[in-house]
Amino acid sequence: MCNISGKALPVLSVMFAGLLVFGGVVPAHAGNLSVDEIVNHTNRVSYYQGTDGRAQVSMTIVDKQGRERDRKLTILRLDLPKPGAAPDEAKSDEYCGEQQFYVYFHRPADVNKMAFLVHKHLDRDDDRWLYLPALDLVKRIAATDKRTSFVGSDFFYEDISGRHLDEDVHELMKTTENYYVLKNTPKDPKSVEFSYYTMWIHRKTFVVVKSEYFDKQGKKYREYTAKDVKTIQGYPTVVKATMADLRTGGHTDVEYTGVAYNLGLPASIFSERFLRRPPYKYLK
Amino acid sequence: MPETHWIVHRSVDRYKTVTLVTALLTLLVAFLAGLPSIWPHGFKWLHPISVDTDPENMLSKEEAVRVFHDKMKKILSLHDMVVLGVVNEEDKDGVFNPDSLKKIYELTEFAKTLTGKTIGAGEGEGVVEVDLIAPSTVDSIEPGAPGVVKFEWLMSSPPRTAQEAEEIRRKAQRIPFLNGTLVSEDGKAIAIYLPLTRKSLSYQVSSRLQEKIATFKGPEKYYITGLPVAEDTFGVEMFIQMAISAPLAMVVIFLLMLAFFRKIIVIIPPLVVAMISVIFTMGSLIIAGFPIHIMSSMIPIFIMPIAVLDSIHIISEFFELYQETKDSRSTILKVMDALFVPMLYTSLTSAAGFASLALTPIPPVQIFGIFVAIGIMVAWALTVTFIPAFVMFIPPKRLETFGARRKAASDEIDTGRMGRILHALGEATYRQAKPIIALTLVILVIAGYGISKIRINDNPTKWFEKSHPIRVADRVLNEHFGGTYMAYLALSAEKKAFDGKAFAADFAREAKKKGEALKEELASAPAVFSELARFAAKEGDAARSRGDFFKGLDQWVKQRSEKAQGEESFAWDEAGLFVDEQKQLNQIFKDPRVLRYQEKLQEVMQQTGIVGKSNSLGDIVKTVHRDLVSGHDPVQQAKNFRIPDNRRMVAECLMQFQNGHRPGDLWHFVTPDYRISSIWVQLRSGDNKDMAKVVDAVDRYMAAHPPPVPLRHQWFGLTYINVIWQDKMVSGMLQAFLGSFLVVFLLMTILFRSALWGFLSMIPLTVTIAMIYGAVGLIGKDYDMPVAVLSSLTLGLAVDFAIHFLARGRKMYAEIGNWKDTSPAVFGEPARAITRNIIVIAAGFLPLLLAPLVPYQTVGILLATILLVSGVSTLLLLPALIRMLEGRLFVTGERTGITCNPVTCIVSAVALVALVAVNLHQYAEVAWTRLTWMSLVAVPILSLICWISSRRNKCKPLPTQQEEDHV
Repeated sequence: MCNISGKALPVLSVMFAGLLVFGGVVPAHAGNLSVDEIVNHTNRVSYYQGTDGRAQVSMTIVDKQGRERDRKLTILRLDLPKPGAAPDEAKSDEYCGEQQFYVYFHRPADVNKMAFLVHKHLDRDDDRWLYLPALDLVKRIAATDKRTSFVGSDFFYEDISGRHLDEDVHELMKTTENYYVLKNTPKDPKSVEFSYYTMWIHRKTFVVVKSEYFDKQGKKYREYTAKDVKTIQGYPTVVKATMADLRTGGHTDVEYTGVAYNLGLPASIFSERFLRRPPYKYLK
Repeated sequence: MPETHWIVHRSVDRYKTVTLVTALLTLLVAFLAGLPSIWPHGFKWLHPISVDTDPENMLSKEEAVRVFHDKMKKILSLHDMVVLGVVNEEDKDGVFNPDSLKKIYELTEFAKTLTGKTIGAGEGEGVVEVDLIAPSTVDSIEPGAPGVVKFEWLMSSPPRTAQEAEEIRRKAQRIPFLNGTLVSEDGKAIAIYLPLTRKSLSYQVSSRLQEKIATFKGPEKYYITGLPVAEDTFGVEMFIQMAISAPLAMVVIFLLMLAFFRKIIVIIPPLVVAMISVIFTMGSLIIAGFPIHIMSSMIPIFIMPIAVLDSIHIISEFFELYQETKDSRSTILKVMDALFVPMLYTSLTSAAGFASLALTPIPPVQIFGIFVAIGIMVAWALTVTFIPAFVMFIPPKRLETFGARRKAASDEIDTGRMGRILHALGEATYRQAKPIIALTLVILVIAGYGISKIRINDNPTKWFEKSHPIRVADRVLNEHFGGTYMAYLALSAEKKAFDGKAFAADFAREAKKKGEALKEELASAPAVFSELARFAAKEGDAARSRGDFFKGLDQWVKQRSEKAQGEESFAWDEAGLFVDEQKQLNQIFKDPRVLRYQEKLQEVMQQTGIVGKSNSLGDIVKTVHRDLVSGHDPVQQAKNFRIPDNRRMVAECLMQFQNGHRPGDLWHFVTPDYRISSIWVQLRSGDNKDMAKVVDAVDRYMAAHPPPVPLRHQWFGLTYINVIWQDKMVSGMLQAFLGSFLVVFLLMTILFRSALWGFLSMIPLTVTIAMIYGAVGLIGKDYDMPVAVLSSLTLGLAVDFAIHFLARGRKMYAEIGNWKDTSPAVFGEPARAITRNIIVIAAGFLPLLLAPLVPYQTVGILLATILLVSGVSTLLLLPALIRMLEGRLFVTGERTGITCNPVTCIVSAVALVALVAVNLHQYAEVAWTRLTWMSLVAVPILSLICWISSRRNKCKPLPTQQEEDHV
């Protein structure tokens, strides 16, 4: 059981979604799962498939007027509980734990080589570093909350690293033929801009296909949709998704290519030192 | 029996039919105007009439500045804003104490809910939450522990202690974008900026805010301002105004007439005429689908006094003559005979004066002018039909005591004090003609000096009285902040035609260079980049735009890159990067030189002393740069508050900014292609003259210091739009004035069949206008919208007195034969009618002084003054001039045809040509030089025709003709 750790918005992390198509823990008692079980499975599928992973991310930020901005980056992920564990070992909810992310920017050209490093913790705030090559600067970022934009897109940092499960109260609103619909209400409403959000979770794969955020007046203002899911190395992986901001009228499309799991990424590259010396070998 | 016009005869004969038709027509118009409004909503008949209080609409929607303003607002996602200021002067920490900040937090949360139904607007309309600027909705960035940079909400929740409150102040004030905008530099005030989806919601929004504020206790004071609020509030008060001023004017006119004529029964018809004229005019305005604008709301107030003008002449005359015969029918016919022509011409000239406003390029002013002109002609039609008809209804019994009774002892009419004063005045003008003319000349010289001092300026906020909450808020907030008047200076990359061949050649050269440079690291780079160069040359031939070119290149490189293996694939990666780098080169607002130039412009604006604060893309870059690069050391911080050295550094700062809670803020300052950027300029004053100074300072700087890359600069924003319409108004009004002057002059020449008489009749109003505008210049009153509109109006009204005076004078002269004896006669009943008119109308406009809105007050004061001055100058100057020119004016034996007098004919022809030219210039936009040539051809031809026609047989003198008319 993942004591904490994000479930939520499988954004970038969905691509690491591993799955149970191959028989995992979940199908055994599918049908009458407890809310906790659904939440935990979803979390694992969203953020913890395989023991590590990589994806080339192509982001297109589209504003209300249809103007586009592109971002191209590579994300590397390493799960900490058992680095290098056999893929089979990573199939239980107990496996979920601390993680590390390395985000490297290719485009736009003028921020090429820019990099982020995130150490995701379960018991405290994440550690975040930033490398700015032109300013020749490595900075640790102290952010009080993770609900800030990810490089100008409609995704939040929290969408990438995952929202801690115990920050919300989870309720199963309904179960449809294909989906579990969860309502998640924050325990500390002041810490976030939403009053609650709902998730549509595919009952077989536990892939989140849709999330909707509602503001304090109960109006929907933000919507995530998974647009394409492919099975990669046996893991159902979201390869296309959109986050729409209904208030600004803009949205961000993401596409994941070159997705690979269980690469045996060395832990050493997820360090401050490697921000200035990108591990090109693993980025391509 | 005098030969009265058939219309009058008919009306007298069929007075019942006339009255019935008038009543029916009035009901019909009122019904038609009201029907569409009443039907859908039952009887809430005030609501559906459309109202327009937007000064932007002073310019047509197609006007370049508005098109640009709307375009920029759209591409930079800018909204008109309501500003809510919270000031705490009592607490030693100003507003930065837990209690005040808690209220500010609550107000912000409340403001977020002001959308859709809560403010009576449609779904999604109202306050734009994502762009709301308040302590709890903006980010703070600052250096943390060594090597750490901190991003957070400035005030995620209200502080609990004084220390926490102080911390918020410190953080806010170190961010240039917020200091002087969100928080005042003295810490006493915070301003919340509420962007609105459309500015017409601002009254609703501010009303709701006020309700919320009313629930708070404490020392804080709250001020709501911003141009949209001013404009919207004006609209609401305008209606209250109309409901008070117009009826009040009516009452005043009624009371004055009662004092003059002492019989309610004879005062009723003029009032009915005034009322029906207003109903007709406003009804047709509404039927025609025009909105009620600040200008058109003044229509009733203008029509009412003008409508009673003619009636007063009639009653005055009737008053004098009735007791002679005690017969209503013959008296009214006699009265109408004497007055028909002057009334027609006074109405025509007044209407022409107003109609000339159609020559201004300002739509609301055009509508105002045209409809007032319509109203005047309606009033005239009623005066010559309904008034005589009404008189027939009056039972002779009720008129027994009416009118001037003759004194038993003499045959003199007892005319009271007014009569005696006027009589003395008449004598004075005969004896002192020269001094009067000399004095006028002196006054004209002074007026000329005054006119040269006129200051053209307007400011919608100043449409409110000084004590109005909006003016107070304006003053207080502009004391604390960098200014609440927003204007924007857009800078955009100069567009060049895309030359594919040349562009590709440059690109290829750079690509080869880059390939060579990479040789050390990647052996295959020169080959890969050469291939890229070759492909680029081909692509350059085909591509139609820069975007196309790079799109083609990008795709091609991507394909090659995917196929490539090993080291070569890295070379292709480099090629892809190179393509993107080249593509980004036209993002001029990442160029440090351009950002520094923008910075320079901001300094120039600041130096005017009018701009309290400006924000730009450069300010964002500088702030992020400072907080990324420096630690806590203030010296370092000051040093690093600058535009970094190269594009990549700028790009990194901008990318960091986008990691915040409000990445969208960036796109208010620059377009995503970094080709257009705008500087937000906060002015402390919304005066057009101040805005114009800032515009001028920037123009001069840019002319003297060309930007590092070709840049176009263009202003937008409400404060700037006001400057533009004002310019239009001034030049437009001048042309309108010229146009109406010529029309009135032509009408006068036709009326009197003499150019000299035409000139004479123009003199009092010319003197009046010179004096009024001279006085405006001398006392330093701003030449604003109402003042400008009044010039044309003055013309139409001021000439009235001259027409009556001259027409009646000439008629009397024809009977008497010399001016010495005519003068006392003219200073009898005609002068008394003129005087009564002056008093009634001047006083009729005075209720406008009670208005809480300054433009109405201005109109009230000026109109009263204008009427007074033109009345006095008519009564003084005209007789003095007639005395001097008697010989020339009264030529016996002259034929009446206008074409018979060659001088009159030629002068009229020149006036006509000028009139046509002014209209062509205004409407057909024909240039003046071309018009000059056309005029130079037209004038001699017309002159020739005049000369020939004056030698016709018909023009042979028939000396007795005129006298016969009046026997």
